[in-house]
Amino acid sequence: MLQGALAGLAAGGLYAVLAVCLTLMSRLVRVVNFAQSATGMFGCYVAVFLSIHLGLPEWLATVAGIVLGGALSAVLGWIVSTWLAEADTGTRSAVTVAVLLLLISLAFILFGTKPQPFHPLLAGPAFTVGGVVVSQVTVVTVVLAVLVALGCRAVLARTTLGVRLRALSERPTTAELLGIPARPLSVGVWTVTGVIATLAVSIVAPSQSNDPTSLAMLVVPAAAAALLGGFRRLDLAVAGGLVLGMAQGAVAQSDRLSVLRYFLPFLVIVALLLWTQRKEVWDAAR
Amino acid sequence: MRKTFTRKTLPALTLAVVLATAGCAGTGAGTDGPIVVGSVNALSGAATFPEASQAAKAVFDAANAAGGVNGRKIEYHAIDDKGDPAAAAAAARELVGGDEAVALVGSSSLIECEINTKYYEQQKILSVPGIGVDPACFSSPNIAPANVGPFHDMTLSLLYGSEVLKLNDICALLEIAGNTLPAYQAAIGEWTRITGKKLKYLDSTLPYGGSDYTSSIVKARAAGCKAITVNPVEPDSIGQLKAAQAQGWNDVTWLLLTSVYSENYAKAVSDAGAGVYVPAEFYPYTDAGSPQTKDWRELMTKNRIPLTAFSQGGYLAAKYFLQVIKGIKGDVTRESVTKALHEMKPVSDPMAGTPYLFGPAAAHHDNTAGWPIELATGSNQWKLAARDWLRIPQS
Repeated sequence: MLQGALAGLAAGGLYAVLAVCLTLMSRLVRVVNFAQSATGMFGCYVAVFLSIHLGLPEWLATVAGIVLGGALSAVLGWIVSTWLAEADTGTRSAVTVAVLLLLISLAFILFGTKPQPFHPLLAGPAFTVGGVVVSQVTVVTVVLAVLVALGCRAVLARTTLGVRLRALSERPTTAELLGIPARPLSVGVWTVTGVIATLAVSIVAPSQSNDPTSLAMLVVPAAAAALLGGFRRLDLAVAGGLVLGMAQGAVAQSDRLSVLRYFLPFLVIVALLLWTQRKEVWDAAR
Repeated sequence: MRKTFTRKTLPALTLAVVLATAGCAGTGAGTDGPIVVGSVNALSGAATFPEASQAAKAVFDAANAAGGVNGRKIEYHAIDDKGDPAAAAAAARELVGGDEAVALVGSSSLIECEINTKYYEQQKILSVPGIGVDPACFSSPNIAPANVGPFHDMTLSLLYGSEVLKLNDICALLEIAGNTLPAYQAAIGEWTRITGKKLKYLDSTLPYGGSDYTSSIVKARAAGCKAITVNPVEPDSIGQLKAAQAQGWNDVTWLLLTSVYSENYAKAVSDAGAGVYVPAEFYPYTDAGSPQTKDWRELMTKNRIPLTAFSQGGYLAAKYFLQVIKGIKGDVTRESVTKALHEMKPVSDPMAGTPYLFGPAAAHHDNTAGWPIELATGSNQWKLAARDWLRIPQS
């Protein structure tokens, strides 16, 4: 079981990073970004294309991919904050579903349906604990998740920029009347999460199945993890991601339970929703 | 009143007469119209194999250019089933009922056999798929694929691992879609019957298109597997190999199927543990200078069709079919084609290890030879791993 749990930690780290991005987006720009991992996937695919077909050095192609992921996210953010500035969270989020589907289709159209020769940035085991191997990818994703969460928290709590961002998310109209530049800040948040997500996917994609659909759908377990923190708390989002990954890994070790592991994110989502809504009466909850 | 009747009805009547006569012309009653041949293919959807029908079309085009069959041209209709049961059923009805096809040749689909086998039996039409995938392709009286199929392929893969590489402790990790588990279990049972050996363990819970296979790999390693047989699609297999690599498990041997035999896969896999071994269902096309694949290679290159196992299957299906209908005395109709396929003599081709025979059997699963190939760590290239076909011993 322990071995399985540690095996699931790499996936858990990735869920955690994406969950942090989702939480930031939900808190600061009022969007549940379904295209969060799809932008990462697309950036990665472009990076592979650049390195294989145009012969760019790998590090340069990866950087270009990450920049592109950030740019894609920025464009999407600009669209949402320009035309849907006053819309509710549901409407703003619906736009990202369209983008998710668009990016998956576009990746198939541009790069074909055959697997891409991703070259790993990190490969192999990092160390062994009591006969259990912990891979380099695991170490990096877990550390990245924790660092991103801590970094974001520090920025939001201790800097002027953070205060402005919080003001903007709490009272957008008031903040704008006070002279806080709403659109540039929103686009900034989109860009940063796009960069982080692409970086995380770039690290993990070469070490697992990496067809567009499976990479883009990583947003489902990430959303389950973010839900643990109610799309507001970064620390719980990280914990949720790591625990979900470990639970999936642990469940896979048992013959009877292993089928469960693909439904775990959905089960977690349903359970958390039921729990958070437990005190709501029907009329109020509607 | 009467005026309107004629004005409205006459064109409609005329149209009906025209349509009716056109319909008569299409039933193959005439001996100078084209011979319609159909195929149902996965051209779009989750997994796509466009090459098989493209290759079959290239063979028929070449035959037409050389004068056709008894002076008649072959008209080839390849329809997309989108990986969707409803579309697969509709495609078969369009070809068999609408286009009056005499047979189906060069199909390659994930689901088509299962969906349409009963319909083909009702319509008394036979199908020679280029690539048969689902179990129904190998258990129907009306379908006889040109390829070995994933089930015999798995038996061959296991035979190669246990008898040639002398590996013990072989495990199986299966990706099960639909009702394929019993067919794979039968394939593994066949290997057990031949060798008296058993799998160390079988895990049939691997998902198609899973993102991270680490947990399954860790479990297999903990169980003490020295070799793993899998029935993966390419991206999944790459994920599994990478999961093993991340775990530092580099002495595991992979006994896989022709589904991963492609140049793309070889380029994407740098670390293949102790090697990936596959019994190729047709003579390995990556052996570029081989006389066995010369004709096929020239035709594919001329028509710009990718060189893959799928295009080998489509090419062979069309070749076999042509050979059979060229021997038909009299009119080429669905009945005469069906009769000719039932009564045919075995046809050999250097790209296949077993001569092809449709025949009147209740099931067609007679192609039992694969050519072992390997992909070694760091080579990024498929190489021949044997000098002859590996065959499943007949019981």
